[in-house]
Amino acid sequence: MSHHNRQPRSIVDRHSNRRNFLFGTGLSLGSVALSSMLHRDALAATDEKTVPRGLTHFTPRAKSVIWLFMIGGTSHLESFDPKPALNEYAGKTFTETPLGHVLESPFLENERVVAFDPDNGFVRKTCYPLQVGFQKRGESGLEISDWWPHVGDCADELCLIRSMWTEDSNHGAQLQFHTGRHRIDGFFPTIGSWATYGLGSLNENLPEFVVMGTPLADCCGGQEAHRANYLGPQYDGIPLQVDPENSMLYLAPEKEVYVEEQQKQFGLLEKLNRLTAEQYPDDQGIQARIRAYELAFRMQSTIPEVVDLESETAATRQAYGLDQEETKTFGQQMLTARRLVERGVRFVQVYHGNNGGAGNWDAHGNLKNGHSKMCRQVDQPIGALLKDLKQRGLLDETLVVWATEFGRTPGSQGTNGRDHHPYGFTVWMAGSGIKGGIVHGATDELGFHAVENRHYVTDVHATVLHQLGLDPRRLVVPGRQRLERDFGHPIREIVA
Amino acid sequence: MDHTKCAIVSLTALLTGFVATVGAVDYEHEIKPLLASKCGSCHGALNHESGLRLDAGVLILEGGNNGAVVEPGDADASLLLARISSGDPDERMPPEGEVEPLDAEQIALIAAWINQGAEFPADETIPANPREHWAYQQPVRPVVPEVDDPLWSHPIDAFIAQHHKRQDLTPVGMADRHTLLRRLYLDLIGLPPTREQQRKFGANDSAEALLGEIDSLLDNSHYGERWGRHWMDVWRYSDWSGYGKEVRDSQKHIWHWRDWIVNSLNADKGYDQMILEMLAGDEVAPNDPEVLAATGFLARNYRNNNRDMWLDATVEHTAKAFLGLTINCARCHEHKYDPISQQAYYHFRAIFEPHSVRLDQLSDQSNLEKNGLPRAFDADLSAETYLYHGGNEKQPDKEHPMTPAVPAIFGGNFEISPIALSVDSYYPALLPHVVKSQLVAARAKLDEAKTALAAATDEDKKDADAKPADVRLLELKETAAQLGLQSLEARLAADRVKYGNDKTASELALVEPARAAAVAERRLKAHEAVVTVRDKEGALRAAEAGDEKNAKRKEQAVTNAKKELDEAWKKLTAAQSALANTDDKYTAVGKEYPRTSSGRRSALARWIVGGENPLTARVAVNHLWLRHFGAPLVDNVFDFGLRSLRPRHADLLDWLAVELMENNWSMKHLHRLILTSRTWQLASTTSEPATTNHQSDPDNHFLWRANIRRLEAEIVRDGVLAVSEQLDSALGGADIDYQQGEVSRRRSIYLRHAYEKQMTMLVQFDAASPNECYRRSESIIPQQALALTNSSLSLGHSRTLAKQLWEEVAKDDGAQEIFVQEAYRQILSRPPTEKETSLCLDFLTNQATSLSDTENLTAFRGGSEAAVKPSTNPQQRARENLVHVLMNHNDFVITR
Repeated sequence: MSHHNRQPRSIVDRHSNRRNFLFGTGLSLGSVALSSMLHRDALAATDEKTVPRGLTHFTPRAKSVIWLFMIGGTSHLESFDPKPALNEYAGKTFTETPLGHVLESPFLENERVVAFDPDNGFVRKTCYPLQVGFQKRGESGLEISDWWPHVGDCADELCLIRSMWTEDSNHGAQLQFHTGRHRIDGFFPTIGSWATYGLGSLNENLPEFVVMGTPLADCCGGQEAHRANYLGPQYDGIPLQVDPENSMLYLAPEKEVYVEEQQKQFGLLEKLNRLTAEQYPDDQGIQARIRAYELAFRMQSTIPEVVDLESETAATRQAYGLDQEETKTFGQQMLTARRLVERGVRFVQVYHGNNGGAGNWDAHGNLKNGHSKMCRQVDQPIGALLKDLKQRGLLDETLVVWATEFGRTPGSQGTNGRDHHPYGFTVWMAGSGIKGGIVHGATDELGFHAVENRHYVTDVHATVLHQLGLDPRRLVVPGRQRLERDFGHPIREIVA
Repeated sequence: MDHTKCAIVSLTALLTGFVATVGAVDYEHEIKPLLASKCGSCHGALNHESGLRLDAGVLILEGGNNGAVVEPGDADASLLLARISSGDPDERMPPEGEVEPLDAEQIALIAAWINQGAEFPADETIPANPREHWAYQQPVRPVVPEVDDPLWSHPIDAFIAQHHKRQDLTPVGMADRHTLLRRLYLDLIGLPPTREQQRKFGANDSAEALLGEIDSLLDNSHYGERWGRHWMDVWRYSDWSGYGKEVRDSQKHIWHWRDWIVNSLNADKGYDQMILEMLAGDEVAPNDPEVLAATGFLARNYRNNNRDMWLDATVEHTAKAFLGLTINCARCHEHKYDPISQQAYYHFRAIFEPHSVRLDQLSDQSNLEKNGLPRAFDADLSAETYLYHGGNEKQPDKEHPMTPAVPAIFGGNFEISPIALSVDSYYPALLPHVVKSQLVAARAKLDEAKTALAAATDEDKKDADAKPADVRLLELKETAAQLGLQSLEARLAADRVKYGNDKTASELALVEPARAAAVAERRLKAHEAVVTVRDKEGALRAAEAGDEKNAKRKEQAVTNAKKELDEAWKKLTAAQSALANTDDKYTAVGKEYPRTSSGRRSALARWIVGGENPLTARVAVNHLWLRHFGAPLVDNVFDFGLRSLRPRHADLLDWLAVELMENNWSMKHLHRLILTSRTWQLASTTSEPATTNHQSDPDNHFLWRANIRRLEAEIVRDGVLAVSEQLDSALGGADIDYQQGEVSRRRSIYLRHAYEKQMTMLVQFDAASPNECYRRSESIIPQQALALTNSSLSLGHSRTLAKQLWEEVAKDDGAQEIFVQEAYRQILSRPPTEKETSLCLDFLTNQATSLSDTENLTAFRGGSEAAVKPSTNPQQRARENLVHVLMNHNDFVITR
């Protein structure tokens, strides 16, 4: 095989000794079989617009992505984009301040509403002061709120993108953040599925695209936010529970089946299938199926091992907050995320804040209590993840993205909340050659509109793919028309 | 671009007061798109008014009926420039009201291009006239090619053989009989042949045996389920989805439409009739629930929160499913490829504008949560359709309401005539089963009240420990129930007069029954008010006497009870004074719907299936072909527009399309034709992996062999049930909870199939997306392996099957070997080879030994309790393991 041209010291090498089970008779493999199994990074593909075969378009910076998504809309104003003007003009309507022009901006036209909600999704026009203080963090002095002390400790790794915008002023924006398309346009492949479609697997023991946390509710896109749609189910994110007894559907048989018993069954199955393969040498599907069974068999033991966090040191477990009720769940997911990328999983998507509806970050009222509680659940685990990845040398090849569907209004809703805000909000990235300790883009003085280096959500997708060595314009599926905007543009300014 | 290098000041630009500085103009990127957007609709490939086309450089220079329009190098002498910059609205192009005129900058750009020599790439292709697109021509039956080899004389084979010859391909031989029979069964009924069926077929290798099988399978009611599921993909079948009881998509009980599909296919109803019933069953057979069920095709598009999305889906999928037309691309702007204007989209939408969805009571079951018939009907005949500028529903063009129409380019008759409905249709409340269920309910209520009263007064029935009942209240309630029944009967009587067939009955005839109904209703209301007062009095006494310790809470409870009693008194007073009224205003028993249907949808259906429509039969044939061969004749099954080039097998497609139309659109006729062809019966693989065939036609475009195909999700699950002889063959009925997928023994077509409501195992095997699935994918992924390995379904049923098979053969000599052979036949529809037999026998021996040594066995972590326990006998357990392996065999999930 000609695909052994790997980068030195890659994750693959560390784990390639796992390729020892059921490796058989050395039949030449069809292209179908190759597509999900081999180590194909760092090989340049041609310029042709064809269905990818797992070859990167240029030298990748990242091998894996950890994608953290806060459901409901995290306030950029209380997290990563402080606006002292809101304190200065607290209680004043925008038009009573020198900044009233935000209400005349043509950017307001970007909003698209599916179903009118009489209560939420409005422009709120009375300045609501910041509900938390900010500190300058790290050597870079990034300003991050007091609800994010652990993430703040990693400020020098972070690139804050303060100039995001989206279209949907309701929570369909959650789906939109993953597909780049408004909810009304339907379902499309998601960023994780594009990445795995473009690259394929780094390992032979685990799926390529793993999902943790309770997914979006039906209202807002449901499972479609990690599905592959027309790319096919092989690129769907596979849900994983951090529970060794019950980590994945059909991963273990019913009770009273023995490992050795099943191993012998797989052995017989492989022999019988290979006999059939000899009889039908031009049947490519059978080769792919033999491989799929090999991976399935291995997943049965590798996945429980991945989610078995008892094997981590007490210090690590404590760092991720596994010893505290508030941080335990997300901490387990963060630690598992590290273990997954360590083992070569391409894309790990973690949801936080599902409440069966719009999401727990949706702070129409009582923002201070709600957001500070949500932050306590995720801040320490995310901080621990960044530090742990860095310490293990994995941050260089892992891209961490923190995102949410939109920000929250600079104006108050009710007495103590903020409404949905698609016109300007923050996401951040860290690792894999993304410049650390920098701010990219800006909102206006009220934190209303993204005004500098504006980015629609697909620019985030393009940047992720770019770090993985992929050009989204070359990821096409025959017969599937993509819009210009679907491709986005990599944010080159933030790439080191 | 350097904007100063080449400044142009044209005379016309000066006249309009505009001075432009334009650099070197790029025809491809600046001029061509500009002309296309401003002039394209009248001077392009589709329309060339005044003989002028402006969609290719050579045609621009050629000019039109008025001579040249461009003088290269001299913009001021060019007619084109004069017309686009004219100050006279009658002269200026584009004409007023059609497209925005060109602005000064755009005019300057065109002037600059002309002045720079009006250059264009020499190799520019001239767009073809969309009217001449192959799929837009009516199919004409082509002559079947002559073939030398009598084996290839079947009409389908003749077309295919001609290609083999041209391409220098040598077709492979016929599939072996085992493969052929399995392929046939899975193709037609979606279930593998039983061992008995295999033996019967094996014993008779005549051509008639195959014909016999084909005919008997076409008569098998499983045929309707198998092909029903295919058409459910195309027609977007979805059970209802939503939160709790709230329907967001589709409709409850939409399975009636599914059953209509299955039954229609089994009855070989013509495809034309099926389309007519699906689009307009309520117009062609308004009183026939069996036909009304077909309009589930429309009801399925229901969206609870957005009428625009609802109608958009209706327009999009009607056009894609029946016409292979992506009319949806013209919602916001002209179609980018096909001759479909944005107007055409809204004309098409107007056909559906009046319609809505309702649930009709089907039987005595008056609770529509439990059953009912979701069906389409025209609810608002005056509903207007407006074009949305840019597709934005916030910008409707209310000045120009859109009439219902079909895209003119396809010709054909589209004639609308409104349809008068009968009372059964517009006032279903008087249908006998509806009336009966209402009366039954009212009588039951009365019986209930009587029973309650008797229980309180009859000494024998009294419960000594019970609190003394308020007998007076129970008496009042009994009377209320009595009055309720009387009121219902009076209202029904009035309704019968009002909606009666007696056209001669005067208005006067209604007065008396109506007055009687009104009186009965008022009496009921007054009496019910008395009941409420009595009830609230009791509640107040209970609150006062209650043992609530907290004084404040008790006080609150008493206050509330008093307030409610006051309210009840007020209502009673009002109801009693209303008794003095003498008017005849009564409440009708049911809802009246419009008495006329617009006739728009039946006109559409007749246009679609009218012989002149060039698309309908071709699109249908293509879907059928795809599902018999695993690859379609036209690659994009829902887009036969200009992006679909003339297919390789266009002649065959047309021949089959005409054949379908001329045989009453009978699908069974087409199935029989296809299945009897040699092409369909070819082997799928060769023993040589690298023949010249492989080199010249690796994708089998010319059908020199059959395609190996992964079975659809439903067929994999049904296969597990079928081979273990556990399949429940019941036909039709309400959808089954998808979470029962591992427990239920019904065919998968009956499992709930909706957004977020699909059995995971089916999704993993590429089940249709409920939203859209014109063609399935055939993926191969580890989750499929895990599902077939670890699901309760495959584990349990393999154990059951192993038990049955062993009981059958245990007493025979060499039982173990017979077991292997029978298991292969049962599961893979073929006997094992010698090598396979010996591997399996070795396995049985080794596995039994290993399973006896429980000391050295490790149980899997996790997992639920086994539905069917493994055998405690190691030998039998090894046989269970073998059966389970064969259910995971590559060939179990494919057809060769």
